[in-house]
Amino acid sequence: MAGLAVASGVYLATRRGQKQTADLRLWTFAKPHADAYVKMLSDFLRRHPGKTVDIQIVAGEAVTSRLQAAFWSNLDVPDLVEVEISWAGSFFRGKLESIGFRDLTERIHKTGLWNRIVQARFAPYTTRGRIFGIPHDVHPVMLAYRRDLVEKLGIDVDAIRTWDEFVEIGRRVTVPGKRFMMELPPAGVSSFEVMLFQRDGGYFDPQGNCTLDNEIAIETMKYYVPLVAGRYRIGNDLGGGQIFTRALEDGYYLFMVAPDWRTKVIEQDVPKVGGRMALMPLPAFYPGGRRTSTWGGTMIGITKRCADPDLAWELIMHLYLNKEALAEQFRNTNILPPARDLWDHPAYDEPRPFWSNQPLGRLYANLAPQTPPQYTSPYIGLAKAKLSEALIACVDYYDRYGARGFDGFVRQQMERAASEVRRQMRRNPYLHENA
Amino acid sequence: MKTPDLPAKTVATTSAPRKRPPRGDKIAPYLFVAPFLILFLVFGAYPLIKSVILAFYITSGPRDQVFVGLENFRFLLSDPDFWKAVRNTAVYTFWSLALQVPLGLGLAILLNSRWVKGREFFRLAFFSPNLVGQVFVGVLFSVLFVPQYGLVNRFLHATVGTPLDTRWLAEPSLVMPALVMTSLWMYVGMHMVYFLAGLQAVERELYEAATIDGANSWGQFWHVTLPGIRHVLIFVVLVSTIGSFQLFELPWVMLGRSPGPDGAGLTIVMYLYINGYVAGDLGYASAVGWTLALGLLIVSLLQLRLSGGWKG
Repeated sequence: MAGLAVASGVYLATRRGQKQTADLRLWTFAKPHADAYVKMLSDFLRRHPGKTVDIQIVAGEAVTSRLQAAFWSNLDVPDLVEVEISWAGSFFRGKLESIGFRDLTERIHKTGLWNRIVQARFAPYTTRGRIFGIPHDVHPVMLAYRRDLVEKLGIDVDAIRTWDEFVEIGRRVTVPGKRFMMELPPAGVSSFEVMLFQRDGGYFDPQGNCTLDNEIAIETMKYYVPLVAGRYRIGNDLGGGQIFTRALEDGYYLFMVAPDWRTKVIEQDVPKVGGRMALMPLPAFYPGGRRTSTWGGTMIGITKRCADPDLAWELIMHLYLNKEALAEQFRNTNILPPARDLWDHPAYDEPRPFWSNQPLGRLYANLAPQTPPQYTSPYIGLAKAKLSEALIACVDYYDRYGARGFDGFVRQQMERAASEVRRQMRRNPYLHENA
Repeated sequence: MKTPDLPAKTVATTSAPRKRPPRGDKIAPYLFVAPFLILFLVFGAYPLIKSVILAFYITSGPRDQVFVGLENFRFLLSDPDFWKAVRNTAVYTFWSLALQVPLGLGLAILLNSRWVKGREFFRLAFFSPNLVGQVFVGVLFSVLFVPQYGLVNRFLHATVGTPLDTRWLAEPSLVMPALVMTSLWMYVGMHMVYFLAGLQAVERELYEAATIDGANSWGQFWHVTLPGIRHVLIFVVLVSTIGSFQLFELPWVMLGRSPGPDGAGLTIVMYLYINGYVAGDLGYASAVGWTLALGLLIVSLLQLRLSGGWKG
């Protein structure tokens, strides 16, 4: 055992300086991404003879924990990594020079990428004014709905312009326990934050200050809670996976929040409703207001251990900005690429039979420029947890007492949530250093 | 019988100066303990000492560290999330002990009696949940508890008329009962095996003597069985308490890698993990770890004292 331990230690210690097998190694957590990249590689390798690229799938959350461990130990660090949006902030906790990713700010401005990509999408990968990731997507949000049931109930989706109108119809057609107007979780924050971002709110401002107790957040909470609590609620949530499949097949939900990536999930998981689904823009909070929001996202970053950052950058440009290849990728994933100039490809105008022959790509592309930013912080996980606690408390209050004293209670809860986030942030000695 | 005295010559021979052992013999004991010692120093002592030091730093990974003295402990004691984790863990521990130990003992008594047919099969059946890990059990029960379509809700709806869309893992007040039920299924069989081993060591003659003295079943249980398995009982309670305080994987998997709604499934170890490996503050996580260790030590000592476990 001791021999084994010593041998392993020696092996790891000597391996540090060894050359890796491929010139570039890319980690991704999404198999559809990996499949698409493998197809796109041959072109890149033809233009870079003698170079090799290894694309590795590292499952889900393991990307984050493995990458964190790799950064800390300086072992087995890949050259490029795709990180999910809600985890990105956790890599930005320490000193700027200690962040494991390369600062891409200058490259982004010098190459004109800043103007090509929807700028709001850089926000989640920015800390202290420096950008550490290139967005893989825009993820604008629409409402997906069971067209057959909605038509049967006499709902004219084209006439729905605002959330107030939507809610009014919802209160008419919801039958608690059997049919809900919309999939809306009373405990999770996924749909709440869609509404929050739609109103230009969020967890943090561009400077990284917590904004959970500002007026937008409070008003959003006051609007959202009566949709999922009390006698006149119009939303519920049963969970994901197979349960979501059954619920959608059974017509338990009529409408649901659908960023572009989720339309593919619905296509794959609920094939039975094919041809009976359709999409509409989010209702606005006021007439003429923003008709979309955002949910989810992925960045790609170049690690500091990467020996050839120029080659890594070229690979990113190839994978994220190759018009033809990305059009093909869109057909397979429904994910709109982040650069505006890519959206004029005919692939985005193709009618989709699953979605009642709507041109899915064009619908999302039309909304994408309005996508709101979501600013991040290393404390995004904590902020989400605190918002969830506040939401649960508010739902419980509304269930018990209704609108009586609700305004004061919401304010109190949001202030408490924000102050707990700020209390944790104050402990971080690195967060307020200047770029 | 008197032992004959040894002749003086024999005594003189045995006390003659011994030969110096060969050089290799001197090193041999050290070589034998070396594997354990090396492993312990590298993987046991060093991390322990390092974590004590880290507990006095705010860190971001292993490189960025700022010495803060006792600040981590001060913050910990004033952090509502830490106290929520302590409360959740204590509630889970209480209910786990209150349900698992009596049920495990009851099953053991039942399966120890000769009139039960197929005892071996039932022993295996009750123990088998232990053969799979907490992650597997977590995934399994997260499916059983789903609203509307899950087996638990279907069963309860059919039998006692509870709503089909009861959200066991999304309703803060229901998360803990769901966790306790799941762990009951998982661990009651293991306790049963411990108790079975204890029961089989209780001498039959004691029961016969108790019967002759006129003791009924309850009297036999109270005056013979319980004292006979006292040490096993103390062991099971102690091990269950420590195991419950270390709860992590089960709620982490069942609640979708989160502390659950309103932090209802947040345990102390989960709190440690989130701070250390999600937030990256290894210093704070070390402070949590040492606080947990200290708490466990106090609880274990208290249990041993109250149960008379000191006396042996």
